[in-house]
Amino acid sequence: MLAIRNVGFMQCVLSQHRLKYSVTEFGLRSLFSASAEVKSSDDMPIQMDNPYKELPKGCILCNITVDHKNVQLLSQFVSPHTGRIYGRHITGLCGRKQKEVSKAIKKAINMGFMSVTFKDPSFLKDPNICNIKHLE
Amino acid sequence: MPRYELTLIVKAMQRPETAATLKRTVEALMERGAVVRALESLGERALPYKISKHNVRHTRGGYFLVDFYSSPKMLPAFLDHLKRDVDVVRSTVLRNEEKETGSARCCVREPPSAK
Repeated sequence: MLAIRNVGFMQCVLSQHRLKYSVTEFGLRSLFSASAEVKSSDDMPIQMDNPYKELPKGCILCNITVDHKNVQLLSQFVSPHTGRIYGRHITGLCGRKQKEVSKAIKKAINMGFMSVTFKDPSFLKDPNICNIKHLE
Repeated sequence: MPRYELTLIVKAMQRPETAATLKRTVEALMERGAVVRALESLGERALPYKISKHNVRHTRGGYFLVDFYSSPKMLPAFLDHLKRDVDVVRSTVLRNEEKETGSARCCVREPPSAK
């Protein structure tokens, strides 16, 4: 009796979900049969980029020469409020480029290209490269 | 002969006086046996900070770049000469080496993850 009740329940559930498979009272096994109506293209892998692909390595200044005369570039790594040079954890540059930028900024300041205590106002609207949020 | 770059900041003056200053500077270079390769002007603009030189507080200046080849021995004497020039606000001589492009070693290792 239980078996029949269960079959009835199963049929109710299955009909709600509108399965393609044919189910008879006695043939629940047909659910699991290999000869169900499945399109051969359903099982093929979906074309997508390799999800495990490694991201390209390199900091933002890779293959860009850092010059002490290029004040606009150097100003992007300097605080607009104090003119201090941002650290490595903020700029996200690799060791070599961080050193180059830091030296170039100090050189530019010394030679009279760049200011010490603030960022040139014409460069304030430049896009923010560094990982820092300014208080508005 | 090594190649140098002179960054010259001259007082904000009228055009004929600026020209005279530059001419003096380049002639001083050539007297000491330098070969001047190029003279570029970066324009006259406001200085990033006020510079006091020769009892004058400067706010504006003309920026010039002089590319030259010379013997390293004459540089101290030349810089001394520039210091005495009243019209020159600041002068810096830097070594200008021809760097080889295509150094593919940049960022071979992973940079520190900032984000």
